[in-house]
Amino acid sequence: MFRVRFSRLTAVACIAWLLVACGSSSATPTGSAGPVATTTPTRSSVGATTPVAATVTRMAGGATPAVATRGTSAASPVVGATPQLPVTVSDKDGRPVTISDVSRTIALTGDVAEIIWALGWGSSVIATDTSAIYPPEAKSAPKIGYMRSLSAEGILALKPTVVIGNDSAGPPAVLEQLRGAGVPVLIIANPSSLDTPAAKIRTIATAMGIPATGEALARQTQMEIDTAKALAAKATSKPRVAFLNLRGNQVQQLSGKGAPAQAVIEAAGGIDAGAAAGISGYKPLTPEGLVTSQPEVYLLFTLSLESVGGVDGLLAIPGVTETPAGQQRRVLHYEDQYLLGFGPRTGKMLHELTLALHPELR
Amino acid sequence: MRQPQRESIQCGIAAQAVTVQVGTQRLLAQLSLVVRPGEVLALAGPNGAGKSTLLRVLAGDLAPTSGVVLLDGRPLTTFRARELALRRAVLPQQTVLQFAFAAREVVTMGRHPHLGRNTPAEADEAIVAAAMLKTETATLAARAYPSLSGGEQSRVSLARVLAQEAPILLLDEPTAALDLRHQQMVLATARELARAGAAVLAIMHDLNLAATYADQVALLAHGQLVAVGRPWQVLTAEILSTVFDYPIMVMPHPTCDCPLIIPAAYNTSALLSSQ
Amino acid sequence: MATVKMQAQQVEAVTGRGSRLWWLAQRRMALFLPFLVVLLVAVALLSVGRGAVALSPAQVLAILLGKVGVGLDIPYTTQQAAVLWNIRLPRVVLSLLVGGGLAIAGATLQGIFRNPLSDPGLIGVSSGAAVGAVGAILFGLTAYGAFVLPMAAFGGGLAATLVVYGLARQGGRAEVVTLLLTGIAVNAICGALTGFLIFLASDAQLRSIVFWSFGSLGGATWTTTFAVAPLILVGTLMLPRWGGVLNLLALGEQEARHLGVETERMRLILIVITALITGAAVAVCGTIAFVGLVVPHLVRLIAGPDHRTLLPASALAGAILLTLADLVARTIAAPVEVPLGVVTALAGGPFFLWLLYRTRQAHGGWG
Repeated sequence: MFRVRFSRLTAVACIAWLLVACGSSSATPTGSAGPVATTTPTRSSVGATTPVAATVTRMAGGATPAVATRGTSAASPVVGATPQLPVTVSDKDGRPVTISDVSRTIALTGDVAEIIWALGWGSSVIATDTSAIYPPEAKSAPKIGYMRSLSAEGILALKPTVVIGNDSAGPPAVLEQLRGAGVPVLIIANPSSLDTPAAKIRTIATAMGIPATGEALARQTQMEIDTAKALAAKATSKPRVAFLNLRGNQVQQLSGKGAPAQAVIEAAGGIDAGAAAGISGYKPLTPEGLVTSQPEVYLLFTLSLESVGGVDGLLAIPGVTETPAGQQRRVLHYEDQYLLGFGPRTGKMLHELTLALHPELR
Repeated sequence: MRQPQRESIQCGIAAQAVTVQVGTQRLLAQLSLVVRPGEVLALAGPNGAGKSTLLRVLAGDLAPTSGVVLLDGRPLTTFRARELALRRAVLPQQTVLQFAFAAREVVTMGRHPHLGRNTPAEADEAIVAAAMLKTETATLAARAYPSLSGGEQSRVSLARVLAQEAPILLLDEPTAALDLRHQQMVLATARELARAGAAVLAIMHDLNLAATYADQVALLAHGQLVAVGRPWQVLTAEILSTVFDYPIMVMPHPTCDCPLIIPAAYNTSALLSSQ
Repeated sequence: MATVKMQAQQVEAVTGRGSRLWWLAQRRMALFLPFLVVLLVAVALLSVGRGAVALSPAQVLAILLGKVGVGLDIPYTTQQAAVLWNIRLPRVVLSLLVGGGLAIAGATLQGIFRNPLSDPGLIGVSSGAAVGAVGAILFGLTAYGAFVLPMAAFGGGLAATLVVYGLARQGGRAEVVTLLLTGIAVNAICGALTGFLIFLASDAQLRSIVFWSFGSLGGATWTTTFAVAPLILVGTLMLPRWGGVLNLLALGEQEARHLGVETERMRLILIVITALITGAAVAVCGTIAFVGLVVPHLVRLIAGPDHRTLLPASALAGAILLTLADLVARTIAAPVEVPLGVVTALAGGPFFLWLLYRTRQAHGGWG
């Protein structure tokens, strides 16, 4: 851990920190698929943002996923559009934020960075936080630290014209200091819902002065999500899926009702095993709780799985082998931001997850 | 040393019908005792007799269950801590310091009750120096108190008590940790203070030291006073053998006018057969 | 009087008082506090001048003078002015206050409890503040204004301290050991309560809790600084006057009482003041533990145990060290900020070990 402390609070703080650090919507993104092709912005420096023909490849311990192939542009590009600025948008608390220049944008959270790059405006992003690791350009951008422990002066030193992040960004006092220094600060809501990706894309695009581009990407994203949900609806099986949040031996949690994974699992035609067992939020993993919830599939972040030493390490956790999922070694793992980032790749992820959960659909 | 102040000389400290009860244990029972100015009173008795309890009651550390302690004729409880500190000083059996104060700083703390009474700093320094000379601790002045030996710590504490310049002194085993020479020196100092008008109460285990230096001896057993009086009156073979439940001989001291107490050599079989 | 004077001379002869060496030592001590004051000013200036946003000393001067209506012909942007005036300056002021306050509170508590391992956490302030803060977050009270969280933390800290003190008091007196053990018990209960509240918390609430529980000066604004300044400042300025009393308490409670200290009243006053200081500091910055425990020791190793020097010197040294640590934390990896605790522990820890080692070599022991 980070610091030496002596009070009892330490232990609590450390646990809480780990708990939160692993919290789902805090997810660190890692790309597995490129964004849909999108508009070609007017700016000259958008070379780096060329959309990647996306193939969903990385995933899944046991299951063999079908590969969703995409890359054809669904959105209608608004060629030659110039940003419509200044623009005033409402942040998550309904507070108006006026943005007149996006030439030096800082993305405070990984999902925002991913969306801006997907919109084709990545070159206007001068810095991202450490959770922004997709696309690679966002990862290699200058860093402002971790989204939860930002530094006002550090951000101001980069002379941003606007900073955008989701509601995980903070501390609040730092955001207040940024506003005090005259920088437009746009904090957007990030509820755990499959409506969130499109909503975030629209808001960010509007804030960047490219609402039409945003609308196209939002529709594209929503369409992919709806297609995946429709596919899931055809499934005949309804597996119980347990999302585990692990950081080695220190943090081992089962996610339940209201946690971000529930929305994703249910959309993919599964049952959230934790929620079904009466768990809400993240709760420490207990062998008995695990056995009671009887999951048929384990769903994890790739980092979680690596932290316990892979599938074999996961099976070594007490109680895991006593569940159907453990006995059949059905373990699915995805990169954080891909699985629970609620970004433009959500539809692809959902499609992939649905096929992995329901062998009958393949 | 400066003379203790005149007005307090005719006073002293007195326990009147003091009872201390802790749970069902009666530590002191209806005990009355007076320590008068001008005299050294040695408090002696077997372990658990209530000597330290009595000292704590007299010092005001322990409130008696019943009875009252009078200082200068006034109940002890009516004094503020500072007033009390100007009138009586207490030497505990042992003072443990967690921080490395120099011996000299410890002695200077004895001057605390006098602070703000317009005593010039030089006078305070002189009093501290005198107290350290008297207790032969001047050479230890710069040393850290926790690094001193038990006997040295004890003498530094005594110097602190002397620096307090109170007319009433309550000493809890002032000689316990000391070597033979310093035992004599400390009690001689106590007697000297008494001659100058102080009232001194000292708990003592060494009856010969009590016999040599005390004006009065009080013998305590089972929380009650067995005998009080001049050494010759109290330190008799009969009384001592009864109080300590041990064969003790008393004879005249060869060089000074006081009793010499000689306990029998400890003999397990003899003791067993006597029972 | 003549003999007294002669004897005093003998003491001086024996102890080396009055010798050249002794006077040098005395003078070194006499210069210690002024030296710390000068260092404090230097560190404060350095800290105001340095940061992620580049500002020349002339610009700093121009911005500061501009605030009081003196215009200088030195150009600066409004954002530079905002950074200096609204971010850096309150932060430096807050770090001076909190560092000084925590250090003097730690020194005072070590004195009261005659325990070199005491820190403000011992009497329940920190854990009580945690319960207050976490509770305020969990029950949604933070929505009622920015002041709710600090107030709740402050109230929790003070309440826990008074509970500790109240429970440990019996028959009008609280023995130190009972007080310490009660503190441990109350800390354990508060820790459990915090844990339980965290267990109940939602993901979003958990985030706020974590922001708070990790000590940081990053959120310093003039509002928060002015909110806690009176409490910390008044407490810090008041405590040194009881340095002599704390010296006597070092002898032991009964000994102090025998020397005229109303120990019970004194202890209550001192505990309440330290709780006010610590509570205020914890309320705005979360828990910063290292300063309160270690700074008094550093000062004691240099200047000795006399609380009349120790208390003001600890306040100054604590202010200096926390401000320096924060300067390093916010500049070493700019624009990223390193957690403050990492800096204090990494820099302070080895230095403290070295001082311990040196003391052991010199005096053969820690006492």
